[in-house]
Amino acid sequence: MRALWLNFQDALRGLWKGLRQWSGDAAYETYLACAARKRGAKPVSAAEFYVEQLNRKYSRPNRCC
Amino acid sequence: MKRLLQILVWMAVAALGAVALSTIALHRGEPISATWFVLAAVCSYLVGYRLYSAFIAAKILALDNTRATPAERRDDGRDFVPTNKWVLFGHHFAAIAGPGPLVGPTLAAQFGYLPGTLWLIVGAVFAGCVQDFVILFCSIRRDGKTLGEMARDEVSKRGGFISQLAVFAIMVILLAVVALVIVNALKSSPWATFTLAMTIPIALLLGVYLRYLRPGRVMEASFIGVALVLFVVVAGQWVADSAAWAKVFTMSGITLTFAIIAYGFAASALPVWLLLAPRDYLSAFIKAGAIFSLAAGILLVRPQIRMPPLTRFIDGSGPVFAGKIFPFCFITIACGAISGFHSLISSGTTPKMIQREGHARFIGYGAMLLESFVGVMAMVAACAMTPGVYFAINSPASIVGATPAAAAATISSWGYPLSAETMTGLAHAVGEQTLLNRAGGAPSLAVGMAQIFSSTIGGDRLLSIWYHFAIMFEALFILTVLDAGTRVGRFMIQELGGRAWKPLGRMNWMPSILLSSAIIVGAWGYFLYQGVVDPLGGINSLWPLFGIANQLLAAVALVVATTILMKMGKLKWIWVTLLPMAWLVIITMTASYQKIFSANVRIGFLAQATALAAQLAAGRVTAAKVVETQRNIFNLRLDAVVTAVLAAMILVLLVEALAQWYAILSRVRKPVLRETPYVATQWAEGD
Repeated sequence: MRALWLNFQDALRGLWKGLRQWSGDAAYETYLACAARKRGAKPVSAAEFYVEQLNRKYSRPNRCC
Repeated sequence: MKRLLQILVWMAVAALGAVALSTIALHRGEPISATWFVLAAVCSYLVGYRLYSAFIAAKILALDNTRATPAERRDDGRDFVPTNKWVLFGHHFAAIAGPGPLVGPTLAAQFGYLPGTLWLIVGAVFAGCVQDFVILFCSIRRDGKTLGEMARDEVSKRGGFISQLAVFAIMVILLAVVALVIVNALKSSPWATFTLAMTIPIALLLGVYLRYLRPGRVMEASFIGVALVLFVVVAGQWVADSAAWAKVFTMSGITLTFAIIAYGFAASALPVWLLLAPRDYLSAFIKAGAIFSLAAGILLVRPQIRMPPLTRFIDGSGPVFAGKIFPFCFITIACGAISGFHSLISSGTTPKMIQREGHARFIGYGAMLLESFVGVMAMVAACAMTPGVYFAINSPASIVGATPAAAAATISSWGYPLSAETMTGLAHAVGEQTLLNRAGGAPSLAVGMAQIFSSTIGGDRLLSIWYHFAIMFEALFILTVLDAGTRVGRFMIQELGGRAWKPLGRMNWMPSILLSSAIIVGAWGYFLYQGVVDPLGGINSLWPLFGIANQLLAAVALVVATTILMKMGKLKWIWVTLLPMAWLVIITMTASYQKIFSANVRIGFLAQATALAAQLAAGRVTAAKVVETQRNIFNLRLDAVVTAVLAAMILVLLVEALAQWYAILSRVRKPVLRETPYVATQWAEGD
């Protein structure tokens, strides 16, 4: 029973993580993780990243008919 | 033993699909349950995915999971982001699912349920899914290059230019036709107009919230937004019931046209975070919810399909749009079976985010199957209505008459019984003044959806709320396409214009932004206005034009795919892309020819223009209508020219490709495949 409960919790956690990635909520965290791995220039702030990401996304076809 | 069991299970799925397909194909007389449609579609998709996509993945593309994808090699946390395959499937599906698979099948239902349903299923399995999958694969192997770049590199420079032009043409016509669908859904409807108008301040509020208060917290902002949108759907009823407020939000087609043009300009010129992006978030959540609810509703209610398998209008005399079943059924269905626009998504964001090459099958092929299923659900919703009601909603006044009595008499004379009381009662039940002459597919789909939803929750009491929820969902969905498309069109104009005059190419220079926004909005706004004042209802001219442009782009994508397969040495399997390409060329060419040259005035642009010119010359047009008639003549000739240009583009590309193929096959030229070199993945299996 406990194993079943733990599996259920894992599934919920996975679903929540997937939903955050799909919606874009996790985009800044992903960017920070990547910046940390690359150790390049100082990462931009969350607000700057958000606007920059939107400008890129909506400059090419991203919604179909 | 396990293998034998698997074979038996798949044989059972295939047999069930065959039985379901035969049932919907051979059934005559009494209404048939929608369950057969769901079974036929799902079983065909499962077999197509299990066998055909696996064959393409293994034998033709040879997907290689040991090869690093662009997301791994170029991971930058911005564009190139390795993404879980289920999440990317959701992203890709949200991007490809637009209003097309909802509107196209609804319009094609005038031929009966059978032709459209069969094309939705067969077209998706053998053409649409193949296109999306192969183009996604090609782009992954080329560092996420776009369709235009691949056409230039693999076919010819002219090929690249043609695909850019095709994208621009489809964008202009698409935006005009989807805007026309909104106008026809909102005109004279204060409830629907209020609801949609309120989504603008809601989007602005979310924009400010996401930019300044909680940057990037998309989910919490979207939940607030969805709650507010649902509230305004209900509040719309109070507006419609108030004489003063109803007057404010009761608009004619022309007024709505200018309002939407002004909105498109604002969405293109304003910062993207303020209006466009938050609306897109709202739309994505509502879209996912509504599509899921429709599927669940159909499964629960299992409505009876009242439309016959074939109607008398397969002869081309249909009131919704004119033209015979071939080629117009295929042109009209468009996105639910195959959409050229998808190739832009498959060569856009998705290839930059895919973790493994092997995921391309699930994402490219699988997401298109789901899109096709959305089309089948739209067909079910449209065909669950009585045929008389369907034709009354979707036919223009010039054909069925403008009053319930006239429409009922005309439609009943076609053999589809309808009483005036049915139409007035239905309009009253959904909270509208009238449902007559609402061409475009959105209102009839909304009625169909509302009937399914209200059979699940709320009964007739909630029919009006469900109807306006469905209209809001469709319009919100369409406005997202409209503002995102207008903005992309603006960028294309800036990019192309910048070659002629450098300052125009400066993306952040305000005069350039305003000028290019005005040009793109003016282009689709012109076609929209033309559709609104068209005496035949606009959809008759514009939807086929959109279908031709969309299928043209699909033909471009399949030409590129075929060329690449040929260069890969897969000559034996080339039919996988060559046959759908040939089919698309045949239907776009036939439809283009008929739209330009048909002697039937309801089909041929030139014949209609000539007929109007003859009426004008004979003095049979009243003085008040002379200017309008002259404008209609000009518009029809313009439509003929646009169709001819689209057809010429595909012919030029085809000639370019044939020259390239001949050179490869005759060994005159050594095929050069412009793939990025192999790099082994650093990720362990299962990452």
